Amino acid sequence: MNELERTSNNAELHPSTKPSQLSSLEVYDKYGAMAYGIILQIVPQPHLAQEILVNVFSSPQLQSCNSYPFTFAVCVIKLARSKAVEAKRKIMSMSPIAIDSGFHHEDQSPQQIFNLAFCEGYTPDEVAEKLNISKSEVLKAFHDFFKSSRNS
Amino acid sequence: MHTLENREFIESGYLESYVLGLTTESEKELVKQKLLEDQSISSYLIDLETGIKKYFDQTSILPPTEVREIIHLRNLKTDIKKEKHVFTNASGNEGKKNNEYLDIEVNDTYIKVHKYWRPAFIAVFVLSKVFLIAGLYYYFKTTSLEQEILRLKTTIQQVK
Repeated sequence: MNELERTSNNAELHPSTKPSQLSSLEVYDKYGAMAYGIILQIVPQPHLAQEILVNVFSSPQLQSCNSYPFTFAVCVIKLARSKAVEAKRKIMSMSPIAIDSGFHHEDQSPQQIFNLAFCEGYTPDEVAEKLNISKSEVLKAFHDFFKSSRNS
Repeated sequence: MHTLENREFIESGYLESYVLGLTTESEKELVKQKLLEDQSISSYLIDLETGIKKYFDQTSILPPTEVREIIHLRNLKTDIKKEKHVFTNASGNEGKKNNEYLDIEVNDTYIKVHKYWRPAFIAVFVLSKVFLIAGLYYYFKTTSLEQEILRLKTTIQQVK
């Protein structure tokens, strides 16, 4: 599934948040630190994370964010995550013990559920299966996680 | 104000999943439909995006300055490739423009050589050592032989 697929039906949703056409360097100056933080959460090795960061901001997919239904920041978040998860999967396929996910079966907190889906790259269905909970509980945990992060 | 149905939908977590790109196609369609139907869900989505950006801003880490330069060079390279593509389809004026050189200053003290240079360097190094050892061996051998000849000449003269 292409997460960065354009959904033209919703293009009019955020007219106020759409910036004019930004160059890759302008986007990097604005969101580079945020993307690097996200990538490091997923791939903790700095050298690899920097390589992924370069890939994100020289990717042609970044230009599609200009016509994206979400805000530019969300588009960058999704792109950084997808590139980092992709790289992590490649590393894991080469050396399964290279990255310790720190997964504990008994921990079913919204933070842990969010980490499994966002940082570990599992789909909500896979997370539900791993934790022996329903998919709706997984999705609800995403809501609770961002709700608590907004309130804190 | 959110109606009960909307509140349930918001609390279901579909919107968070949608924003983060974790939804399936059918869920995506459901969210899109809800967004078109209800303005309150759309405005919640805008708040959610702001919240998500705020959350990730907290975890942001400043990357090294070299990364910016690499991105700049990579994008420049891509732009040049694109311009080359335009040149084949464009008129003469644009062609002239594409023939101009770009002043690129690269702050890099390293050079790149072909990988075949590695065995060549190793071979040169090993051969230099072999010749050095051989040279020393024959030097000492010649010196000792000269001494032997001198000794023998002295012996012959004494016998005479």
